[in-house]
Amino acid sequence: MDIINTMIDSTILNHTFQIWMSVLLTLMMLSFLFRDNPLYKLGENTFLGISLGYGWVQLWNMSVVPFLIRPIKDAYLDFQPYDIVLILWILMGGTMFFRFSKNKAWIANYYFAFLFAYIAGYLIPIEVQNLFVQGSNMMKPLFEQPSFFEISKWFVIIFGTFSGLMYFFYSKPQKGLLRITSRIGILVLMTYFGAAFGATVMGRIALFIGRAQVLAENNQASIVIAVLISIFLFVYFKFIYKEPGLDDEQMH
Amino acid sequence: MEKIVLFLKRIDRRWIFLLIFLSCIIPFWIPSLFNQKFSTSKETQRVYDIVDGLKEGDAVFIDWDFNPTLQAELLPMAEQFIKQCFDKKVRVFIYYPFISAISLGENALVNIKKEEKYSYIENGVDFIHLGYLPIYTDMMLFSMYSDFKSTFGKEGKIFKGIKTFKDISYLMSFAGSNYPESYILLQRRFGFKMGVGVTAVSGPDFVPYLQTGQLDGMIFGLKGAAEYENLRISHGAQKKHNMKANAGMASLTLSHLIMFLFIGIGNFIYFYEKKYKKSN
Repeated sequence: MDIINTMIDSTILNHTFQIWMSVLLTLMMLSFLFRDNPLYKLGENTFLGISLGYGWVQLWNMSVVPFLIRPIKDAYLDFQPYDIVLILWILMGGTMFFRFSKNKAWIANYYFAFLFAYIAGYLIPIEVQNLFVQGSNMMKPLFEQPSFFEISKWFVIIFGTFSGLMYFFYSKPQKGLLRITSRIGILVLMTYFGAAFGATVMGRIALFIGRAQVLAENNQASIVIAVLISIFLFVYFKFIYKEPGLDDEQMH
Repeated sequence: MEKIVLFLKRIDRRWIFLLIFLSCIIPFWIPSLFNQKFSTSKETQRVYDIVDGLKEGDAVFIDWDFNPTLQAELLPMAEQFIKQCFDKKVRVFIYYPFISAISLGENALVNIKKEEKYSYIENGVDFIHLGYLPIYTDMMLFSMYSDFKSTFGKEGKIFKGIKTFKDISYLMSFAGSNYPESYILLQRRFGFKMGVGVTAVSGPDFVPYLQTGQLDGMIFGLKGAAEYENLRISHGAQKKHNMKANAGMASLTLSHLIMFLFIGIGNFIYFYEKKYKKSN
């Protein structure tokens, strides 16, 4: 066992190995930007396999063992009256497996009914409460707001919301005042979409910057692996890859 | 002019990818290229001030709701927040609502401990990983308000004096989704103070909660993280270990400039062709 541990320490857990793997997998995934290729597929499936495997092990250790297996074991060894609650919930959760049966799938509906009732009963009051909090904030005396910016914000929110809603009001032909209002509405909506899009782009670039930082900090590994991947892509697309012919397309 | 427009129109998108790639990576190689300064937003300042106002022995609860896919944006701000807590000798409880977040949080604390200034920190004394619970936030909060320690089944000196969640001074949620809303919805009922550290994508969703005072502060995206770093540096933190987000800001600026350039080119081609078609 010690030999295996030493081998793992000197290979998979080795810092240099980890850095090179990190750079390799990053560049393998980025190679998709050039064109879909086997290296990308390998990286993609490696990621999926590892993350699912890791997730399952963690889920087993942190959820199934402490909240299901251990309580069952304890109840078996020393049964107490309150363990009936545990059995009840195990049975309730177990009904989910009836979804696999065509005839008995309805049994699982009892669990779902309970779950939905609980979520609705819990969420509806607090969501409404939250709406009241948000709404009451808009009902403060307008000219008691601390700054001109706050007052202008109020106008933008009230009239922006109203004109935005008017854009989707199709019960009357959009002519005259309704047309002007809906035009303002679409401008407000577009401004929001623009801001959301800008923030999304910034977020996506920020995510890439994290990988760029890894590549920049490990120059040697990045350059060597980038050259190797470039050679592979050149060889693959020049000599191995075949454009799908008409027959292939028809077959698919 | 037509030849230029035709050339620009036919640029392969891969050249644009390459330019964006270079614009992100070059600032790391030449850090002096963009020595930019930027102001601190009110929301980031508020989070900083709240932690700064905590006393020795107070406790904060961190909801670590992000995995490695979002670490570029959220890890720098989470690290800075935790370091500030340690500077103030505030106890840190870290809860992971998602299993995939646990190893990232544990690694972050290991890395913080490697810094000489924080080499004293100990798991179970100065901070604790509360792990993951397979229950909804509401159930967890109700349980925490009944008995904080037994909710997580953990032991340690850190729990001294913490009976229920009422003894926690501040809740900070770092997330790349709308998950913190599950805390916000129950905030009125329980009356705890909370802030969020969010990605640029999910940030706009939380602005209404700032306006109503449901949130005390917000660290928004990589820029927010860089602001937080600058705040800590201006209050005496070393630059050496606290420039992660700032290092990324130059890349963010340069890549956005490249994008502006291409958006400009796209619009130029659009209007030029419109005009050209009209005249013919």
